[in-house]
Amino acid sequence: MRIASAKESYAADEALFDSAVQRRWFAALLAALVLFPFAADQYWAFLACLAAINVIAATGLNILTGYTGLVSLGQAAFMGVGAYTVALLENRLGTPFFVNLPLAGLAAAAAGTVFGLPSLRVKGLYLAIATIAASFILHFVFANWDSVTNGVRGITVPPATLAGIALDTPFKLYWVIMPVAVLMLLGAANLFRTRVGRAFIAIRDRDISAEVLGIPLLRWKLTSFALASFYAGVAGGLWAYFFRVVTPESFPLILSIFFLAAIIVGGMGTILGGILGAVFMTLVPEVLKLLVGAVAPVWPDAVVLLSPVRTVVFGALIVGFLIFEPQGLAEMWRRTRRAFHLWPFRT
Amino acid sequence: MLTLTRRSLGALALAAGLAAGGAAPARAQAAGDIVLGGSIPMTGVFAFAGIGIHAGISDYVKIVNDAGGVHGRKLRYVYEDTAYKVDASVAAFNKIAAQEKPNLYYGDSTAFSKTINPELERLGSAIMAGASFATELNDPAKFPLQFMAGPDYTEMFGILLRYIANEKPNAKVAFVHSDTEFGRDPIATSARRAGELGLKVVETIVTPPGSVDVSTEVLKLRRAAPDYTIFHGYVLAPIPEFITQARQMGIASRWMGTFWSMDNSMVQQMGEMADGFMGVMPYRYYYDDEGQAPMLAKIRQMRPDYQSTAYMQGFLTAMLMTEAVKRTLDGGQELTGKNLKAALNTIRDFDTGGIIGVPISIPGNSIPVGRIYRADVQKKLMVPASDWITLE
Repeated sequence: MRIASAKESYAADEALFDSAVQRRWFAALLAALVLFPFAADQYWAFLACLAAINVIAATGLNILTGYTGLVSLGQAAFMGVGAYTVALLENRLGTPFFVNLPLAGLAAAAAGTVFGLPSLRVKGLYLAIATIAASFILHFVFANWDSVTNGVRGITVPPATLAGIALDTPFKLYWVIMPVAVLMLLGAANLFRTRVGRAFIAIRDRDISAEVLGIPLLRWKLTSFALASFYAGVAGGLWAYFFRVVTPESFPLILSIFFLAAIIVGGMGTILGGILGAVFMTLVPEVLKLLVGAVAPVWPDAVVLLSPVRTVVFGALIVGFLIFEPQGLAEMWRRTRRAFHLWPFRT
Repeated sequence: MLTLTRRSLGALALAAGLAAGGAAPARAQAAGDIVLGGSIPMTGVFAFAGIGIHAGISDYVKIVNDAGGVHGRKLRYVYEDTAYKVDASVAAFNKIAAQEKPNLYYGDSTAFSKTINPELERLGSAIMAGASFATELNDPAKFPLQFMAGPDYTEMFGILLRYIANEKPNAKVAFVHSDTEFGRDPIATSARRAGELGLKVVETIVTPPGSVDVSTEVLKLRRAAPDYTIFHGYVLAPIPEFITQARQMGIASRWMGTFWSMDNSMVQQMGEMADGFMGVMPYRYYYDDEGQAPMLAKIRQMRPDYQSTAYMQGFLTAMLMTEAVKRTLDGGQELTGKNLKAALNTIRDFDTGGIIGVPISIPGNSIPVGRIYRADVQKKLMVPASDWITLE
């Protein structure tokens, strides 16, 4: 049982990890992430990279929707901007990935700021519809600006290189994607210890009150859009290096809905929620596939007959979480932690 | 302290779970099996085809194994459902590549074929074909380890246009296509090809994916008054809506489609409207019992019910892949992607057992052969409207 953690200074009170135990666990997690690719085969390395990319994009959306209260269905389109930026920079200028990725983020942030303008006038569902427009407009641009985007055929991206080594397998790319993901998550977590993050939260809780308190809505709403899109852009850039082909059909509206579902399932307005939600949404279909595959030796037609069932189960799981844990996976995680903290007493 | 211990236990369990999942041992590969991997869309928008493709591949693999395999080695078909999503397809590829070391692979979409190409070349141990007939893939220089078991979309249009030029020289043609990569694929090149054949492309209509309201497009078509209208990039909708409205307006065009809109059960869903609907089909239909077709007879024996054209596609793909393996092993060579593809390209005047009505050759990445079929509403069947057309 943990009784309490005494805070002796404001700095300690604001710290990201408030106890030595937490810091140790975080170190253990980092160590596990470092060791993971050596224990995993290509398939699991692939899934880890994919999950990490989705975590970055979902965290971006979480900043916007979970923390600032602005619903957006444009996240995938902003990812597309990042992916195209990387594809173009790689093909035309050949700049290294550590330059391309931030530029991808900035390009997406610029696009996000523009499409965030309606957020000054509309909120909620109306804003969701306004951001869907971003999806359609950007898709149209990707598909029709032939001289730049190569139209519907898209652009093939050469592998990222580091010190002459082509990062062309999930194992090698893991060493780029995972550190970037960790850095961006730490960045997001720290953001909410600053004025900026608190301004976002104030806007979410009541924008009029926030304005009365001296928070300029124009500036911070657009900053939130820019930050969310920056995350999407970097995720899109990594996506481009990961899949190596960027086409207009790579970033459909359904992907934006996927991210929104991820943060709702994971828990809006918590960093952990974005992580858990994106990992859940990425891995559960694969885990269900493994389960279906596990019965295949005794039932050869299982994959054919159970595949549709699998989709239904995935949907049912999402609905189940929403009903039984509306605060998301993050809340379940917190409850579990609390149970351990208070053991042997019951909450 | 106790708390910590319990937490550590939890963490250990988590780590163990991760390790167990992460380090899932490669399934012991039965000695000498030749693995055909597949990213198959059993769910999602393309499931109607995926299920047929799966059945076709499974049946051909069974036929080969029942006959003793290839050089005594069994074929093993390992597949994953992809829901027609590129990331899931790539995940399936990575999984099967890591655990089963396939020499043959079936991919489910153009996007997947393009995405996986660098990895396929990096591995260098397999050849791949799939559900995509994209023109872009028909380039042995760019896609040296891939092929398609039929004509690419531009070649399909080429076959249709050649038929039109024969039937009605100087005919007016309209193209109607979806605004997708699939839909746009053959349009620009085919417009040029039509010009070379003396045909006139009077209208090109683009519809957004999934659109069903086509009334304004039909009006455009009426103004253009084409003799032939070719649909591409659709499976069914909005073709029936188009034809229904166009007939009501008295447009006297003939209606045509390409491979994925030519399955008999699909076309017959249009009911009366299907009458006279034509299109290009590289394979013979399930029920076609004309002449010598031992493979079709075998399929009918294995499956008494109608099998789709997607089934034929999967079946033939597996057949050609097996033939490539056989030829590679005949030559005493190792099963590498390069050798397999070279062996595949030695296929000349090959008898498919009636799946395709003429002997075929695969000089590059495609088989530029097809035949025009027409829907016969009385018989509820697609019936041949031309002889086999081979493009040079």
